[in-house]
Amino acid sequence: MVKVGMISFAHMHAYSYASCLKELPNAEIVAIYNEDTSIADDLVKRFGGKFFDDYHKLLEEDLDAVIVCSANADHKEHVVAAAEAGKHVLCEKPIATTIEDAEAMIEACRKAGVKFGIAFPCRYIPAVRRAKEAIERGEIGRIVGIKGTNHGTMPGGWFVVKEKSGGGAVMDHTVHVVDLWRWFMKSEVVEVYAEADTLIHDIEVDDVGMLTLLFDNGVFATLDTSWSRPKAFPTWGDVTMEIVGEEGVISLDAFAQDFDLYNNKVMKAQWIYWGDNMDMGLISDFIDSVEKDRPFMITGEDGLRALEVVLAAYKSAETHQPVRLR
Amino acid sequence: MLKVGILGAGTMGSMHANCYAQLPDVEVVAIADKRTDLARKVAEPLGARVYEEADELIEKADVDIVDVCLPTPMHKEFVVKAARAGKHVFCEKPLALTIEDGEEMINECEKAGVKFMVGHVLRYFHEYVAIKKQIDAGAIGKPAVVRASRCASQPLGWQDWYRKREMSGGVCLDLIIHDFDFLRWCFGDVERVYAKGTTFTDIPVEYALVTLRFKNGVIAHVEGSWAHSGFFTTFEAAGTDGLLYFDSRTASPIRIFVRRKGEEKAAVEVPESPVNESPYLREIRHFVECVAQDKEPEITGRDALEAIRIAIAALDSMKTGKPVTL
Ligand SMILES: NC(=O)c1ccc[n+]([C@@H]2O[C@H](COP(=O)([O-])OP(=O)(O)OC[C@H]3O[C@@H](n4cnc5c(N)ncnc54)[C@H](O)[C@@H]3O)[C@@H](O)[C@H]2O)c1
Repeated sequence: MVKVGMISFAHMHAYSYASCLKELPNAEIVAIYNEDTSIADDLVKRFGGKFFDDYHKLLEEDLDAVIVCSANADHKEHVVAAAEAGKHVLCEKPIATTIEDAEAMIEACRKAGVKFGIAFPCRYIPAVRRAKEAIERGEIGRIVGIKGTNHGTMPGGWFVVKEKSGGGAVMDHTVHVVDLWRWFMKSEVVEVYAEADTLIHDIEVDDVGMLTLLFDNGVFATLDTSWSRPKAFPTWGDVTMEIVGEEGVISLDAFAQDFDLYNNKVMKAQWIYWGDNMDMGLISDFIDSVEKDRPFMITGEDGLRALEVVLAAYKSAETHQPVRLR
Repeated sequence: MLKVGILGAGTMGSMHANCYAQLPDVEVVAIADKRTDLARKVAEPLGARVYEEADELIEKADVDIVDVCLPTPMHKEFVVKAARAGKHVFCEKPLALTIEDGEEMINECEKAGVKFMVGHVLRYFHEYVAIKKQIDAGAIGKPAVVRASRCASQPLGWQDWYRKREMSGGVCLDLIIHDFDFLRWCFGDVERVYAKGTTFTDIPVEYALVTLRFKNGVIAHVEGSWAHSGFFTTFEAAGTDGLLYFDSRTASPIRIFVRRKGEEKAAVEVPESPVNESPYLREIRHFVECVAQDKEPEITGRDALEAIRIAIAALDSMKTGKPVTL
């Protein structure tokens, strides 16, 4: 039985990860920490374990692993403390808000000899895996260019407070797809150009992002990270890509396994997803890697490489020039 | 009765001939094409005279309007010749392959006092007209981020001229020129262009991804592809109050599937989107009206020039790896 502590529910994905842990036969939530203590009873009732209002205390418990879902800018503090306490760590994306923080986290986990995984659950979507397999088998020949989107709804809360999030739509929505492309092509981003701005909402961070990437294998790609889905939209957003190869095209719409629902009380169309739960794939794989003491697929370096693209995009959006990464 | 001479009896020439045939008070009296068999096929039902050379038609045929449906590199020569001969000129898009050529064409038509219109036919497509109407009416609030796609298989033309990028200009000048014009019609002038694509590589497929920053702040992404199979377009615009999305693949009210006897392979289903008046008919009717009533065409020479300016900027950006400011 893998004993898990949850450090913060600031990021809503914590609720999904905790639900997955509850379902897993080989994992157990034994401790929960959250900045906002007003929901302590509710969290314990839903997920079990003991509540802590001090994460240092939580780390003194007998835990195998912790899952960190605090605000982006707090990841470093929490991950480093967990590593120093000898716990394996799974950290919500993006890894951090600065390169220095990300490097310090990777170093702390390496020194402590604990696993450090980044939550890129999209790697566990069956259609995404099918795309990877098709690419690796050469079904569409050499890849030429990719058009990607990771759209969302403006999340509000700490996500739009620059100090806590490190940035808006570009920070929130670049890393998933960049991670998938690095994973698909075993290739690194060498150059980033971006147009980004606050055009939709009255917030202090960017809500529109349009990135152009160049990979070291010569492939070019664009990625729309915008929080452009209005409240009236039938779902939260999307992850899509059009992968154009010399011999064919892969068109991927990762969450298209849905149906339409029209309900008079909701008064907007809804797309109800029925595909496999990617979070379950992520969490069960992480727990399994801890239980069997085997490497976990998505590393701190993966998190860092994706973050580099985010920060380069912000620099490019400011200077209106492409930014070289390596 | 206005008399028309069409230069080129290929895909567009025959399409235009069919449009004139449906309009009152105008008749096609001459068609020129080096492939005289092709010209004859188009000319015969109309009772039009066939010429082998475009030059010959301009010199000899008694026409009021010359309609240029020749491969793009020939647009300038024959628009200028027709204007100098005092003919009103309709020219297929793109205006020309260079700004200098485009300016010369516009100047010559002005000097000759003839009407001049370029076939930016999206302005007559029902779906695009309806989209613009909604945007103008504030249906999405203030526009912020826009996505347009135009994906097709490699077009085939006379002597495979589309595949020769110095002749067709690739997808930027030939295909997504439509979207550039439409976006400019909706959002005004472009400030900055950044693009990646295969046009200047030895990659055998044409694919380009272009980011436009408009003077009004709108960020737009345009995908152009001759790497797909079939043909489809998509358009999305998100703003401060909403989002609209169009996909030609799901906007087909009729699909016809024919199973041929004795054939092993399943026949393909062909989706159609029939309308009472084709956009090409609406476009040509407008031009004929302008000539008949001495009105200025609603698509001006400058519009066509600005569209190629965007396309050429995209090509320059592709070549240099830098954004191009207009
Ligand atoms: N608006 C649209 O939707 C649309 C669609 C396709 C093409 N186009 C444009 O229309 C133009 C024509 O394209 P197309 O697909 O019809 O090309 P095409 O190759 O099918 O036809 C061109 C014709 O010109 C003839 N020709 C070449 N040189 C000639 C000469 N000196 N005298 C007489 N005939 C000559 C060729 O024999 C050929 O039949 C291009 O500029 C293209 O970009 C527009």
